Amino acid sequence: MKKYGLIAICRHGFAEKFKATPILMVIDLILGILHGLSFGVETMMQQRFFDKATQMMSGSATLGMAFGALAMLGLANVACQILNGVSNYMPNITNGKISGELSRKMNEKIGRLAPEIFENTQCLDDINKAEKGKSSVMNVADTMMSIMIFYVPYFGFMGWYLFTMKPILILALVLIFIPKALTQILRTKVFTKAEDESAPIRREYEYYENCIADREYFKETRLLGGFMFFKKLYTQVLDAMQKLRYKASVKANMTEFLMSLLTVAGYVGIIWLLFDSLMKGDISVGAFAAVFNSLGLMYNIMDEVICRHIGGVAETIGATQNYMRFMDMPERTGSASQTPEWGDIELSHVSFAYPGASECAVKDVSFTLKKGETLAVVGENGSGKSTLIRLLSGLYAPTAGQVLHNGVETTKLSASALFAGTSAVFQKYQRYQMSLAENISISRTEKKWDEAVLGDVSQMAGLDVEVRTFTNGYDTMLSREFDGVDLSGGQWQRVAIARGFFRDHNLIILDEPTAAIDPYEETRIYNRFAQMAKDKSALIVTHRLGSVKLADRILVMKDGQAVQLGTHEELIAEDGEYRRLYEAQEQWYE
Amino acid sequence: MKKLIERGRRYRYWDFVKIPMSVAPAETVLRLINVVTMALMPVLQTLTIAEFVDTALLIFGGDTSKSIWKPLILLVLITAYTVLAGHLSQFMNLRIEIKLNREYRVQMVEKRARLAYTHVENNETWDLVSRVCEDPAQQIRNGMNNIVSATDILVRVFSLLIVLVGQVWWAGLAIVGISLPLFALAIKAGKSNYQADVEAKKYNRRAKYLRGVLQGRDNVEERAMFGYTGAVNQKWRESYEKWRTIHLKTEALYFVKMKGASLITVLLSLLIISILLLPLSQGLITVGMFMGLVTNTLNLIQMMSWQLAWTMSELAKNREYLKDLSTFADLEETDGALELPSEEKVPFETIDFINVSFAYPGTETYILKNLNLHLEKGRHYAFVGVNGAGKTTLTKLLTGLYDNYEGEILINGISLRKYSQAQLKSLFSVVYQDFAKYSVSVRENIQLGDVLVQNDDRVQEILEQIGLEMDLDTNLGKIRADGTDFSGGQWQRLAIARSLYSNAAIRILDEPTAALDPVAESEVYEMFGRISAGQSTIFITHRLGAARLADQIIVLDDGRVAEQGSHEELIGLEGIYAQMFEAQRSWYQ
Repeated sequence: MKKYGLIAICRHGFAEKFKATPILMVIDLILGILHGLSFGVETMMQQRFFDKATQMMSGSATLGMAFGALAMLGLANVACQILNGVSNYMPNITNGKISGELSRKMNEKIGRLAPEIFENTQCLDDINKAEKGKSSVMNVADTMMSIMIFYVPYFGFMGWYLFTMKPILILALVLIFIPKALTQILRTKVFTKAEDESAPIRREYEYYENCIADREYFKETRLLGGFMFFKKLYTQVLDAMQKLRYKASVKANMTEFLMSLLTVAGYVGIIWLLFDSLMKGDISVGAFAAVFNSLGLMYNIMDEVICRHIGGVAETIGATQNYMRFMDMPERTGSASQTPEWGDIELSHVSFAYPGASECAVKDVSFTLKKGETLAVVGENGSGKSTLIRLLSGLYAPTAGQVLHNGVETTKLSASALFAGTSAVFQKYQRYQMSLAENISISRTEKKWDEAVLGDVSQMAGLDVEVRTFTNGYDTMLSREFDGVDLSGGQWQRVAIARGFFRDHNLIILDEPTAAIDPYEETRIYNRFAQMAKDKSALIVTHRLGSVKLADRILVMKDGQAVQLGTHEELIAEDGEYRRLYEAQEQWYE
Repeated sequence: MKKLIERGRRYRYWDFVKIPMSVAPAETVLRLINVVTMALMPVLQTLTIAEFVDTALLIFGGDTSKSIWKPLILLVLITAYTVLAGHLSQFMNLRIEIKLNREYRVQMVEKRARLAYTHVENNETWDLVSRVCEDPAQQIRNGMNNIVSATDILVRVFSLLIVLVGQVWWAGLAIVGISLPLFALAIKAGKSNYQADVEAKKYNRRAKYLRGVLQGRDNVEERAMFGYTGAVNQKWRESYEKWRTIHLKTEALYFVKMKGASLITVLLSLLIISILLLPLSQGLITVGMFMGLVTNTLNLIQMMSWQLAWTMSELAKNREYLKDLSTFADLEETDGALELPSEEKVPFETIDFINVSFAYPGTETYILKNLNLHLEKGRHYAFVGVNGAGKTTLTKLLTGLYDNYEGEILINGISLRKYSQAQLKSLFSVVYQDFAKYSVSVRENIQLGDVLVQNDDRVQEILEQIGLEMDLDTNLGKIRADGTDFSGGQWQRLAIARSLYSNAAIRILDEPTAALDPVAESEVYEMFGRISAGQSTIFITHRLGAARLADQIIVLDDGRVAEQGSHEELIGLEGIYAQMFEAQRSWYQ
């Protein structure tokens, strides 16, 4: 598996950010620098004010001068607060915009991926986690940027300020930096180890908790009386987990405590430096107070940059990998944009293995779907029927062999050219939470339609757009969640069929639903399938052998191979898989 | 163990301390003491700086009567304490969290397990449950931290004020007089109006849904073939932009208020400092004290700029949690939900439904309407009917998941409502359509069927019968490190094995085979019937081929029993069953 380093991630992140909003990014940059400097200026102003106040007491400055210095201090403070607010708010604007832009690109990218990628668990994992990865990439880029534009200017300014006061004072920055950096290094080591050990245990106890009280298991665990059983497992693992955490954390805390002693030593060193300079008369009392006062801030800011930001980056780098891999995923390659004329579809020695599977789901299948022919594909569960139709339609690219649409290989065609004349009703047809019109017309979004067109396809699908359910006609939202209506399973099935009709086609793929359907609905669906197949090339996947009456020919699949092809009469006469299936079904319905 | 989740209890802010207090009293007290001492450090530092600077100035003036070492060492000690005490807080926090996990979280889980089943199927209450139960220890700790943070602010501000008043009483009082209203204003301005905008939420949900359409795996076929990515992406963009605009506005408002509060604090501090300049110039306070007070005040601005606003917005969030928690704690429970099945076997003779009507809570559509039904011991029944006819609902009533039905259900002539959960558990065994796939060992998976008995021989025997012979110690699923993955068919047989292991008087098979083709399904039912010969079983199916295996077929239609009898009798009736059978047969022959 490819690993992406910090530089690659930052390069990608910066490039995308600047592409999305160049002007805002420049403003962000300038504000960041000013914000960093403002903290330093404030310390300086504090010193000036203290000096004036001291001088006032010794008579070398007037009350007015003191007020003047105070006004400057106030101004610095106000500027600092405003810059702080604005530069903290800015990311809301820029990140929202950039995030939207990146999401749009991701959506498009997914649309261009080959469908079989979704069968690859590693890729699927990357796709599912890409969204989180995207935020992480932006986070990493942001952090690196804020280090450059905020922290470096701040510490640069403080360094210069201390240096001009007395060169040796610049040591203070070193004394602040070393203990923090050491702490972070140790912390990462201790914590990563503890996290690695506890992650599987955490998963286990969360799982038992779900077994007790999550929806998925609720009624069964209750009826089985399994509460005590799972509670025992749950508390055992929970205890183990807590012990582990406690141990790890005592260790981490001890380490940090020791490191803090180092921090304290650093503090003492700086105070000594300041004290010494003060006593030697190199710095004023005001400078002493101001610098001493800013020590807390410097420590906090150093802590922020080293522990939170750099430590955070180290933690999130793992999450960015999914996104980076996702963005590098190969896309569907076909490019020919000329749709082949309607004709025969030929499969020659086609095999297909799912990613990661050792065995082929479809093995060496050859046959021709003639122009205008209706072909039924039958076979047991898992015999490769659904895979076969995905190959024939071109959704999947064969691992070996060729699928030719009127002589043109499916893999050579662009998606839009390939599917231009194909429609389908899939087994897993979708219930889009959109309006009825959108649900139907989604099968060809570029096609112009009016109510008459929708009316025609709805009628063909047997969908009665009656006002009791569809309160808003074709604009009715089909989702409770979005203030619309709920449809029954049968109605949804008809919507899916209307969707299939809406898309103009020469070839139609009909994959029968396996979900629970009562006998009446089943009959209706098949009649409609028959209507859809009329005068077109059609492929119907079914396990109901009675329905093959609709088909011109029947293809029998077994263990991924096409074992028989012919008419019902021909096949029933042979002593083969078809007759076996047929007899097995018949016995239940004698 | 102290009961932390009680019905009818209204949870208040104080509970964020009370709950940790009851599970980890010592740690909580230490944590609270620690926050107060830490909050007192700034004022101590002020006094020490004053002492130090004044002494230094005296030394510069040639007066060496006072030692500079004392305040210097004190400064070092204060700094050291501030750095180190932070660890104590962290450590106490961790101990509190661990104890909360052991007690509070476990009690939350138990409460969930006791919930009346209706809340599990109701999306709204289940959303609430998920919200409240997500890392509950963390939520309580958040609330406690919130209180700690507020205490911190209060102690720091008041200790500073007291010193001010002590130094120059009139200046102090003047400051208090001016700052109180200003401070109140700052708090009010800083108070977040984070009640997320309903409108924005709606667009966000919409955008999320559309992203699912654009990225999901389920619809990859339609997405690829229909090529709708461009058009849907456009729609997504619109919803996203609408959400973003509203969200930005809310955020902007939050920032303006928050920074408004900090600006007020800045002005207030400037005011305090200017007022102090007068007594300074008159020699009423020393330069050292002046510097000490000024640094303290300026530090307060830094702290206030985020902590105050953050504390306020957290306050609002935590209040929401308390509301949710009170509602959650008060949700109805099922008595005896956590009990084991009763050891004493409940015999089964008859079941009678007498005029039973039922609608799911919160809905008006009756699923069962005046249903009458009589079942007897030792027979195989099949419930058939179109989708939504009420087949599965019957089993939910029988197993006691819902008890708000009208009419009467009698088991052995006694009302079902009189039976305890424990008795019902030992009476029924159900293989659901969405049966559970427990990621535990094969042995545990099957012996869950009868949690009172651990009999490995019997498990072996059943595995043989259903053709799933394997090592009983094999862990299944992805949770345990050495887990093996089962195919859908293997899980199905395992679920059936669990039911066969059960000693229950009635076994129900609620279409666990829906995803199989009809022949495969019929074979599963046949096997199950064969193994359960002589026992009472109920098959639920919409495929009539399998229903023929039963002695009695009960046809449900529109919430009533439409027909009842053997396959031959029902065919003879030429009613619904005969028609359905014909319709289905035509597709298989």
